[in-house]
Amino acid sequence: MSKKLEGKVAVVTGGSAGIGLGTAKRFAVEGARVFITGRRELELSKAAAEIGHGATPIHGDTSNLADIEHIYTTVKAKAGRIDVLFVNAGFYEFGKFGEVTEQHFDKTFDTNVRGLFFTVQKALPLLSAGASVILNGSIASIKGIATLSVYNATKAAVRSFARSWILDLKGTGIRVNVLSPGTTDTPGLSKLLTNEHKAGAVANVPLARLGTPDDMSHAAVFLASEDSAYITGIELFVDGGVAQY
Amino acid sequence: MKSKNCPEQLKDKIAVITGGSSGIGLATAKLFVGQGAHVYITGRRKAELDKAKAAIGNNVTAVQGDVANLDDLDRLFKVIGAEKKVIDVVFANAGFVEHRTIDQLTLEHYDKTMNINLRGVMFTVHKALPLMTRGGSIILNASIVADKGLPAHGAYGATKAALRSLAKTWTSELKDRGIRVNTLSPGATDTPIIDGQFTSKAQADAAKATFGSMTPLGRLGRPEEQAAAALFLASDSSSFITGIDLPVDGGLAQV
Repeated sequence: MSKKLEGKVAVVTGGSAGIGLGTAKRFAVEGARVFITGRRELELSKAAAEIGHGATPIHGDTSNLADIEHIYTTVKAKAGRIDVLFVNAGFYEFGKFGEVTEQHFDKTFDTNVRGLFFTVQKALPLLSAGASVILNGSIASIKGIATLSVYNATKAAVRSFARSWILDLKGTGIRVNVLSPGTTDTPGLSKLLTNEHKAGAVANVPLARLGTPDDMSHAAVFLASEDSAYITGIELFVDGGVAQY
Repeated sequence: MKSKNCPEQLKDKIAVITGGSSGIGLATAKLFVGQGAHVYITGRRKAELDKAKAAIGNNVTAVQGDVANLDDLDRLFKVIGAEKKVIDVVFANAGFVEHRTIDQLTLEHYDKTMNINLRGVMFTVHKALPLMTRGGSIILNASIVADKGLPAHGAYGATKAALRSLAKTWTSELKDRGIRVNTLSPGATDTPIIDGQFTSKAQADAAKATFGSMTPLGRLGRPEEQAAAALFLASDSSSFITGIDLPVDGGLAQV
């Protein structure tokens, strides 16, 4: 085995930036043929160019079922199958309980729960025997965090999906795991938190820093590769210990 | 796993694996050496330990000893201190399992289980720490039994749940030293420790078949699969992971 994902076909949703982009890059370096999806066409093509190794951008919004169909039609035509599916696309905004709007609730659940659910269900006909599905969760699945009750509930739902799907998928060899990052320094985070807030977040982290897309990409390669062949249904926390003590 | 395209993941690291004579410990020692580490293995049985050392080949040192014996642990770390001065990875893997329901409990069973699985792990880590480097990784071999109510595994399950708790406490205590602590929780794994729990091969095979069919992946795990997970926790691939439990159980305890 020369590289960990040699010859694998990998799809990364939300691959334009942050954890998705970082992971897509490492998947490509490890030998995978990578497809990335994203809503913003320009950012998506820039990301594909940055990844190199023949990475293919597929424009689409995974909270939209027709877009998901289009994404898989394209993957099927170009690669015929999927060996690794990293369902990374997610939506995050603050909403204090008491002030949450219907729009905030629906958008968060539509992207993080409904979109994720159908992204995996519609991939099933393309998933190879022994394929690895990785759901991007969050330490929010097990934490109480003010102003994030809706987001946190979506991540608890994601963690729950993995438990039941591994039973529905028994006999297929398909593995499903959740990768749950702690606070990770991405362009998305910088829109939400000032540097001062970031420094405050570090104070509680045993490993004394924020996570990086690179940290998450190493964990994703582990879950995508044969190194985790006997691991399914788990939640792998990559959080510097912040939610573990 | 080793090739010129794929750099060795534990190049020049010094690792200690207690209970390295067979099963998960032996498979992990082989993999770590293959990834560039020098590995110290321990075990109670001299003949088994020598066989393991021969099977691993180069870059391995066998130090006979029982983790339940504090003098043996002192001797182990004295040897490593003299020879290598540092330790980068500790895999506290030595463990003991014997079936006793609460009705069948004896003081001997209780003491032996606690002394190897809990006291042995605590003092292994306590005595290794003075040699450990910044960025070091401690891996405690726990078990999914910690979360499952498996009959006749009361003392064993309690020790494994204790390890999960220790990983959390030590994550806090060691944060300023940059040392990571995680538990690895195997599910049903095809090793001599399973065979040893049954009086005949037929019984052991029947139990393995039952565990396999109960597991979402439909089979037992292999020692090499546990070793691959231990390598992930030992290496820089998990440098932002501490305090976690990593179940390697084919989904058995995840549903």
